[in-house]
Amino acid sequence: MSATYTAAATLPEALAALASGARPVAGGTDLVVGARQGKAPLPDSLVAIHGLAELRGIAETGGGGLRIGALVSHADLVAHPAVRERYTALADASAIVGSHATRHVGTLGGNVMNASPAMETGGPLICFGAEAVLVSESGERRVAVADLLTGPGRTAARPDELLVAIELPAAAGGSCYARLEYRRQMEIAVVGATCAVTLEGARIGSARVAITALTPRIVRVPDAESALAGGDGGAGAVQAAGDAAAAAAQPISDVRASADYRRAMAAVIARRAVTAAIARARGSSDSVPIPASPALHGADRD
Amino acid sequence: MAVVEDTREQFIRQDGKDKVTGLGRYTADLARTGMLQARFRYSDHAHARVLRIDTSAAKALPGVFAVLTQDDVPDVRYGGFVEDRTLFAKDVVRFEGEVVAAVAALTQEIADRAVELIEVEYEPLPAIADPEQALAPGAPLIHEGWAGYGGNEDVVREGNDCSHSSIRKGDVDAALASADEVVKERYVADMSHAVPIEPRAIVAEWQGDKVTVWTSTQVPFIARSGVATTLQMPEADVRVVVPHLGGGFGGKCEFHFEAHVAALARAARRPVRLVFTRREEFVAPDHRREGQVLELETGVMKDGTIVARRARLVLDNGAYAADAPFFPQLAAMMAVGPYRVPHVSVDAHLAYTNTTPSGSVRAPTAPQSCWGLELHMDAVAERIGLDPVEFRRRNIVHPGDETATKQVLETIAAAESLERAVEMIGYGRELPPDEAIGVACGWWPTFALPSGAHVKLHGDGSGTIVTGAQECGTGSVMALPLLAAEVLGMRPQQFTVVYQDTDAGPWDAGASGSQTTTNNGRAVVEAAIDVRNQLLELAEEVLEAARADLELVDGRVRVKGSPSTGVDITELAEKAAGDKLLLGRGSGSPPASPDCDISGCTGRLGSESFLAPTFMTHAVRCKVDRATGVVRVLEVAAAHDSGRVLNPVGANGQVEGGVAMGIGMALSEGSQLSDDGRQLNPYLLDYKLQTAADVPEIRVEWVGEPDPTAGPNGAKAVAEPPCVPTPGAVGNAIAKVAGRVRCLPMTPMRVWEAMQR
Ligand SMILES: Cc1cc2nc3c(=O)[nH]c(=O)nc-3n(C[C@H](O)[C@H](O)[C@H](O)COP(=O)(O)OP(=O)(O)OC[C@H]3O[C@@H](n4cnc5c(N)ncnc54)[C@H](O)[C@@H]3O)c2cc1C
Repeated sequence: MSATYTAAATLPEALAALASGARPVAGGTDLVVGARQGKAPLPDSLVAIHGLAELRGIAETGGGGLRIGALVSHADLVAHPAVRERYTALADASAIVGSHATRHVGTLGGNVMNASPAMETGGPLICFGAEAVLVSESGERRVAVADLLTGPGRTAARPDELLVAIELPAAAGGSCYARLEYRRQMEIAVVGATCAVTLEGARIGSARVAITALTPRIVRVPDAESALAGGDGGAGAVQAAGDAAAAAAQPISDVRASADYRRAMAAVIARRAVTAAIARARGSSDSVPIPASPALHGADRD
Repeated sequence: MAVVEDTREQFIRQDGKDKVTGLGRYTADLARTGMLQARFRYSDHAHARVLRIDTSAAKALPGVFAVLTQDDVPDVRYGGFVEDRTLFAKDVVRFEGEVVAAVAALTQEIADRAVELIEVEYEPLPAIADPEQALAPGAPLIHEGWAGYGGNEDVVREGNDCSHSSIRKGDVDAALASADEVVKERYVADMSHAVPIEPRAIVAEWQGDKVTVWTSTQVPFIARSGVATTLQMPEADVRVVVPHLGGGFGGKCEFHFEAHVAALARAARRPVRLVFTRREEFVAPDHRREGQVLELETGVMKDGTIVARRARLVLDNGAYAADAPFFPQLAAMMAVGPYRVPHVSVDAHLAYTNTTPSGSVRAPTAPQSCWGLELHMDAVAERIGLDPVEFRRRNIVHPGDETATKQVLETIAAAESLERAVEMIGYGRELPPDEAIGVACGWWPTFALPSGAHVKLHGDGSGTIVTGAQECGTGSVMALPLLAAEVLGMRPQQFTVVYQDTDAGPWDAGASGSQTTTNNGRAVVEAAIDVRNQLLELAEEVLEAARADLELVDGRVRVKGSPSTGVDITELAEKAAGDKLLLGRGSGSPPASPDCDISGCTGRLGSESFLAPTFMTHAVRCKVDRATGVVRVLEVAAAHDSGRVLNPVGANGQVEGGVAMGIGMALSEGSQLSDDGRQLNPYLLDYKLQTAADVPEIRVEWVGEPDPTAGPNGAKAVAEPPCVPTPGAVGNAIAKVAGRVRCLPMTPMRVWEAMQR
C-alpha cells in the first residue's frame, strides 16, 4: 500500500498537501467510518487537519453574525450560547447528530463537506444564508452553502480547497430544525425540515423553509416560504407550508421508508419545524435544542 | 443460605474488572507469531449451481499462503438434526452468505484481494425467500437430495418442510363449532438477529497433529465436536479456548467456522485469524432469529372461557437446518401459551428458504409466537367485550392445570405474575389519549442437560472451580462461586473459576438454553459436597466428633451447638496438602422431563413437556405519536416466576437486557429481504437496535416458589424468558392507540399505515 497520512501543523502545510492531491480528514466520522463500511476506499493520501488552530473557535463578526471554524464540533455548537439563541436551528441539528461520541468528534466542516443529502446542518445553514470560506494556495473565496452543496457527496469546492470557516449573517426571529426519528440516538435523517422566520409585529415577516433527505440535495421550498411570509403564522399557514414541503419532496422507497410515508412525513415534520420556529420567534422559552425539547417530538420525551 | 445472602452485595464477578477497564482480551485481540489473516469468498447468488471454481489467480497473489474449497477438506456432511451442510459449498450454493472458498494471507488487504481473484462460474437457480412459497405445491426443492440426508430420526421432514410438529388434543372442530365466538387472524414476524456487539473471531494454531482454536463461541464443546467431525480427527486433538466473549444471545451457539480456520492454518502451516465484519455477522452465520407466519383461530364462550385453539405456523428455516428443527414443536407450545385450552390443533412447519439459516437466538421462537398469540388474545377479548387482563385472568394456568400435551403443571406462579405486573404498572389508571398500557404473558421451559465440574481447595484454603460451562456475559459462570461457597461455608470471593478451555473442564452444553445455573450449578453443588465430605472426614479426626454433629460455617468446621469448638478450613486444607487432594467432582443427574401424553401428535423433539416452566408477564406503557407512527415505550413492569432467584443482581440484569431486546424486536429490529433472499439492511444504521436513550425504566419483581424439579435450590431458567412477552405487550399497547399492527417489527411506518386504514 502506498497510502500516506500526515498531520498538518500549519495551514500552509495543509494547503500544500491538498495541492499535491491529499484529502483532508477532520474528525473522520464520515471518511473513516465510510471506508470501513465499504462506501468508498480510504484516499491514498490523507492530511489530518485537527491541529490547525485557525479552523477552531466561534467568533462574532462585525456585522452581527458568527464565524464558526470548520473544526468546531457538534458538541461545541450545541453548547454555544450565541448559536442556541440566534441560530437555534443549527443547535437543533448538531444536537441530534449520532451519539455523544459522534458529536464530540464530528465537525461542522466535515458535515458540510461530506455533502450528504441527509446531513443535519445543511438545512439550517442554507436557511440562515451561510457562506463557506474556502482557502487554497491560490487564495480565499466565499461560496453560499446553498451553492456549495451541488449533489449527493458533491460540492462546488475544488479538491485543493480547504473549508476554514462558515460565516453566518446576522439573524433575527426564531428557527428550528426537526427530524423524523425512529429512535432517540444514532439516527439518520429520513425526513428533515428547517424553518427560520422573522416577525413584523404580530405577523410573520420573512420565512425560509428547507427540506432535508427528501431531494438529491437539500433545497429551500419557495412555496412554503410564501405561504408563511406576511401571514399570521396560524394553523392554516402552517398547514399550507407543510403541504408545500410535501409537494416539493422527491421521495424514494428504500429500506428506511416508502415514498408514500416519506411524503406524508415531509408535511408533518415541516409543520413541526414551522410551528416551533414561529413559537421561538414569539419568545417561547422553548429555545433549547431538541434533546431537551419535548414539543418538537410530539411531546414524547416524558 | 446465610453466607450467600450476606455476601451478595459485595460479590463482584471475576471478569467484571477486566471488561469494565478494557483490560479484557477478546478473540480478535489475540496475536500469534507469524499469524495470517483469513477471508471468505461467499456465494454470489442466493441459489445457484456451482459449475467451476478457479483459485489459481488467488493462489498466485504474493502474500497468499492458502486457498481452500470443499475439495481440500474431508467430504463430510454435518448437522445436529439434519446433515445437510458441508464446510464449503458443494455443487450448489443456497444463500448469499454460503462460504465457497477461504483464503489465508499475510494481511487482511491481501486476503480481501485474493478472494476477489477466485473465479466462480454459476448457473443461477430460482431462489425462494418466502417460507410459505417454499411449502407451496410444486415449489422447487432447495435440497434436491433431502431424502438421503442423515440425522435425527425424530425430525419429521418432507421436501422443503425441514421439520413438522403438531399438537392434537380433544376435538377442535366440534369445540369451534360450539363456541360463542370464533376469532381468526394472521400475524407475520420478520427475521431478526442476535447482534452480539462482538462480531465473531477465530484463531487457529497447530502443533503437530493437535490444533488449538480460540473462538468466540457460546458452546466450546460443540465447536470442538464440529472440528473433530468435519476434519475427521479425535476430539482429544482439538482444544477450544474461549477468551472473553462479547455477547452471543444464541448467535454464537453451534459449530460455525472453527474448522474452516483450522483447515486454513493447517494448509498454510501458520496460525490464522478470522475476524468478521458486521455485515458478515448478519449474513454468514446460521444463527439468526426465524421469521414466522402465524394463523391463529380461537373459539371462546361469552364468559371469556377459551374452548379451542387451531393454529398453523410457518417458520422460516433459511438454507440449512442448523439447530432449528426443534423450533416447530416449541413454537406450537408457544401458540397455545400459558392458558387452559381444552381442544387444540396446532401444526408448525419449518420451511427451507434461500436465506441465511436461522437458529437458536435467546428464547428461540418464543418472542415472535408470543407476540402473535398475545395480540390475538387481545383481539379475542375485544370480540367478547371483556377487558384483556380479565380475559387472561379467566384462562391463565394454575397449579394442577393441564397443558396442551397433558402435562400437569405443579409449582407455578403464572397467575401471580399477571396480577403483580398489572399492579406494578397501575393498570386501568387514567392516561392521555396517545398513551396506553399493554399486557402480555409468556412461558418458557428450563432445559435439563448433562454437565460437570470440579471443585478443589488449595493448601491455603482458597478454592478453584474448574468447569466446562461457558460464560457469555450473563454472569452465570461468574456466579458459580456463590453455590460452592454456600455448600462449603466459605465466601464466594475465596474461589476462582477456571473455564473457557475444553482441555480443562468437563463437557458442558455451553451458554445456551438458559441452562448454566440449572445444570452446571447442580454439578458445582455436587462437587462442593464431595469436597465438604472430605473436609468433614478430616475434621472428624481433628475434633474427635462424629460427622453428623459437624457443620461448615464462616470458614470453619465446627461442632453443632458448640460453635467455639471447631477448626478453620484453612487449617484442614493445609493438613490435607501433605497427603490428600481436596478435589471434588460433580455432575448430578439431569432431572427427567415431566410426564405428558402426545399420542396423535407429530415430531417429538424434546419440547413436548416443559421442565420447571417459567412464567412472566410484562405490562408496558407506550406513547404513540399519531402523526408519525413513532412509538416510545415509557415504562415497563416485569413480573417473573423463575423459582428461587440465586443472584438477584444478575437476574435483574437479565430481565433488563431481555426487555431492551424485546423492545427492539417490537419496534425496530427486522431484516428486509430482496425477492431472492438477500438481506437489504445487514448493517447497524438500518438494522436498528434500541439505544440506551430509548430504553425506559424497567421494574422487575420475582414471584413464585422454589421449584423442586429444577436447578440448585429450586432455581428455574432466568436468561431467555425476559425477551418473550415484551413485543406482545408493546403491540397490545400500540393497538389501543393506533389499531392492531400485524407485522413484526411494528415500525413507525407500519403503525402509521395501520392508522390510515
Ligand atoms: C455513528 C455515526 C452517526 C452519525 N450521525 C449523523 C447524524 O445524525 N447527522 C449527520 O449529519 N451526520 C451524522 N454522522 C456523520 C458525521 O459524523 C458528520 O457528518 C460529521 O459532522 C462529520 O465530521 P468529521 O469531522 O468527522 O468529518 P470527516 O469524516 O473528517 O470528513 C468528512 C468529509 O469532509 C471532508 N472534510 C472534512 N473537513 C474538511 C475541511 N475543513 N475542508 C474540506 N473538506 C473537509 C473530508 O475530506 C471528507 O470527505 C454520523 C456518523 C457516525 C459515525
